[in-house]
Amino acid sequence: MSILANKDTRVVIQGGQAGVNAARRMAEFCYLIKRPLNVEAFVYPPDAGKTNEIPYGSGLIAVPVYATIAEATKHHPTINTSLVYIGADRAMKAGMEALDDPHIQLVSMITEGVPEKDAKLLGAHARKLGKVFNGPSSIGIISAGACRLGVIGGAFDNLVLSKLYREGSFGVITKSGGLSNEIIWICSQFADGITTAIGIGGDAYPGTDYVTYLEMFENDPQTKAVVIVGEMGGDLEERAAEWYGAKKRRIKLIGVVSGFCQESLPKGMKFGHAGAKEGMKGEGSARSKSEALQRAGAIVPPTFGALGPAIKEVYQELLKSGQVKEIVEPTSLPKLPKTVEEAMKADEVIVTPLIRTTISDDRGDEPCYDGYPASELINKGYEIPHVIGLLWDKRLISKQEAEIIKRIIMLSADHGPCVSGAFATILAACAGIGMSQAVAAGLIMIGPRFGGAVTDAGRWFKYAVDNKMSVDEFLAYMKKNVGPVPGIGHRVKSLRNPDKRVKELVAYVKSLNINTPCLDFALQVEQVTAAKKDNLILNVDGTMAAVLVDLGFPVDSLNGFFILSRTIGLIGHWVDQKRQDSRLIRLFDYLVNYAAPKRREVPPLK
Amino acid sequence: MAKVLEGPGMGLMKKWGIQVPNYVVVTSSEELAKLGQVNDWLKHSKLVVKAHEALGSRFKLGLVKVGLDLSGAVSAVQEMIGRQVGSITVSQVIVSEMIPHKEEYYCAVKSVREGGEILIANCGGIEVESNWDRVKRLLVEVGQQPSPEALEKVVKEAGFTGPLVKRMADFAGKLFACFDNEDAQYLEVNPVVAREGDGELVALDAVTLLDADAKFRHPDWNFSFAAEFGRAYTKNELDIMAIDSKIKGSVKFIEIPGGDTAMLPAGGGASVYYSDAVVARGGKLANYAEYSGDPPDWAVEALTEKVCGLPGIKNIIVGGAIANFTDVKKTFGGIINGFRKAKADGKLKGVKIWVRRGGPREKEGLDAMRALKDEGFDIEVFDRYTPLTDIVDKALTGK
Repeated sequence: MSILANKDTRVVIQGGQAGVNAARRMAEFCYLIKRPLNVEAFVYPPDAGKTNEIPYGSGLIAVPVYATIAEATKHHPTINTSLVYIGADRAMKAGMEALDDPHIQLVSMITEGVPEKDAKLLGAHARKLGKVFNGPSSIGIISAGACRLGVIGGAFDNLVLSKLYREGSFGVITKSGGLSNEIIWICSQFADGITTAIGIGGDAYPGTDYVTYLEMFENDPQTKAVVIVGEMGGDLEERAAEWYGAKKRRIKLIGVVSGFCQESLPKGMKFGHAGAKEGMKGEGSARSKSEALQRAGAIVPPTFGALGPAIKEVYQELLKSGQVKEIVEPTSLPKLPKTVEEAMKADEVIVTPLIRTTISDDRGDEPCYDGYPASELINKGYEIPHVIGLLWDKRLISKQEAEIIKRIIMLSADHGPCVSGAFATILAACAGIGMSQAVAAGLIMIGPRFGGAVTDAGRWFKYAVDNKMSVDEFLAYMKKNVGPVPGIGHRVKSLRNPDKRVKELVAYVKSLNINTPCLDFALQVEQVTAAKKDNLILNVDGTMAAVLVDLGFPVDSLNGFFILSRTIGLIGHWVDQKRQDSRLIRLFDYLVNYAAPKRREVPPLK
Repeated sequence: MAKVLEGPGMGLMKKWGIQVPNYVVVTSSEELAKLGQVNDWLKHSKLVVKAHEALGSRFKLGLVKVGLDLSGAVSAVQEMIGRQVGSITVSQVIVSEMIPHKEEYYCAVKSVREGGEILIANCGGIEVESNWDRVKRLLVEVGQQPSPEALEKVVKEAGFTGPLVKRMADFAGKLFACFDNEDAQYLEVNPVVAREGDGELVALDAVTLLDADAKFRHPDWNFSFAAEFGRAYTKNELDIMAIDSKIKGSVKFIEIPGGDTAMLPAGGGASVYYSDAVVARGGKLANYAEYSGDPPDWAVEALTEKVCGLPGIKNIIVGGAIANFTDVKKTFGGIINGFRKAKADGKLKGVKIWVRRGGPREKEGLDAMRALKDEGFDIEVFDRYTPLTDIVDKALTGK
């Protein structure tokens, strides 16, 4: 048996993320003791109508969130306990709401920093209703083998090490949440473990004090002894001593109190929990408390270190008198499934990767491009074209190559508002569309007729050069198999009205005295085609393509140079329209040739 | 529990209808002189001048002057402002009117488990302290108000007679209203005096302790809380308090001069048991410290640096119970960084470090601590199988 929390305890958790974290811990315990999850519902108005996913074993349980306690208990009438994880300023309202629900018998408040008056009101209200209000600042309540409320008990491994999967003979009541696991652990190492451990919270006036719980333990036949872990301040330990000494009790009481160091500290210096700082005019010292406990017949070890042996001694007596029997531990216990990460770390699983990358790694303190840390590239004078070289062609390009790429980007960054890409972006910007979508609208225009011929131009020029074709052979091949030569021809530019960007780029590349077979071939093609028709000149796509193929960039990356460059312009156009707060635009009907059929009568539907 | 200085304390009582003397809080003698020109009571009353700081025994320190006229008060203020007492510099002075009276009484309300307890005595000042049995009490349950009949009954029990009964009952009722509505934990008026002439009861001195946790519902608490520590906080302590106020979880640090055993334990409960163990083994605490509630590693690192900087320490106790949810690896990571920094700064020479801990990721955290040995740290690391405070025994008794 146990007190307060048992196998029939069904819980509603009032609160958000902190409550969800507690539910996860509670689910781990339920899994260990092979019981269904004891959390039925959450109450948290901001998330009402949603569900919280709680891992249980290797699965997930969806626990509904409600706006009120009444809704939660209406849908889950077995709920009899509430855990409050609501902020200190709203904690009292939440606690009262739970206490006032007829289904709920126990409310345990985890919230810290709750005003003292609120805690007293909650405690008094619970007593009036014959219910239990535990906390505030409670770490939780755990009954071995039966029920866990809150995070008390700690991590899964600790639950197993502390033998919380089955009940022992010792009750625990502690103000300190941090020490609760320690005492549970000590009970499991020096004796047969616990029945129930309760964190009552370190505040000055906890809703329920030692005496109420001692009374419950006294009436729980499984509990043979109770360990209380006290602190200086207040009079809770003295009241416990008074209760214990008032008449012959069935349970043995073991108590430790902290705060003896106070005697040797400068006057006025106090520390520890709020409750430890409370206490005026000398009352509530550690010494007076431990003396009161001793006088009442409790076992009071002189130091915390002596607690384990004291518990052991009590356990040995219980064994000898036959009140308890040695427990045979189960041979196997459920193991908490590992996460994939944990299992991989332990070399227990092989995972087939979903994707493979050969260019970039983000797992350190900064990204590495093809293995080179970004900051080192910056500090050693590398620039954006080098990053493009690393990420697009996996090689560290030369200064000269970088300069060519820089010029390509600068030359094709923008080409005014009229071209399809910029126009689409402007149209979208005027319709109030956000940057990424509007710029994407412009990028979508890049294709065979606008800016998207770089890759194809590069492919065919390279094909000709690789196959040592003459210009005539190439043009004949293209005419037969492909169509117009990509990279040749311009809508407005011509031999007499040349494209300055092309002249500039060609002049620069030629000035470097590097081997440029593709560019040379492309220029020869231009001579032939332009002679046939004035505007069949080598355009900017074709020029870029030939140069980039000569630099060794893969054909499939070539359109990227135009896309990248033009993105600069598209972003500019979007920001420009935004800055002007441009209005929605639509075509004027006089700009449309309405070639649709004239208005006519709709025939009856057949 | 947060202490409030006399000025704001009197302000709260006045708000709830309690008669208090006229008073002003000033920061310079010029300010008082100017106030004197517009406040008749400053010109015509005898005045009391007191340093408005969290200082004990102000009378002995010459920081209380009584029976002055305005010009005397102005020079008393000039004298007090800027006085250095320990680490506290007097920066405010409270000047109040003297209330002529013959009789002194006592009234207080204190927080008890059931609610509030009203304390009344028909003697005041030092007399009540030496005659504590004359204090009569009325318990008021939380959420309840004391009835006028109950108040009059306890006032009569305390020995009040005649028209004073109603007056004292009324005074206690107002003090309780102040206590209840202002989330006070302790209010004490000693003395309460009957003003000569009209016989009205006036609160001459106020001790006010408020519940700092309730600050969120008192937007008019525009005063700061006074240190209730017996001394002003040191710079190192204030540094850690500043960190504590802005993190999830908590870090705490208090310096104790002259100690040789430095404390760096986890948990509000365990930290005191560790301190007890040091004292029990004859050690001298160099500080109190504590971190809990899974604080960020950088906060624990800052705390560690402060602990390592304590002068004359021989041992550092990095103790802790088995944590519920504080990540041992993460918080130890902060401590390890702090140790490394301290060592690089030339600290930790001849200092031995003792570690004991359990909780989430305890193995990883303890392994990382053990690895410090290879970096030349003098460190001993123990896990959950070594009882909590045994590292103190090992450190101080060599056992």
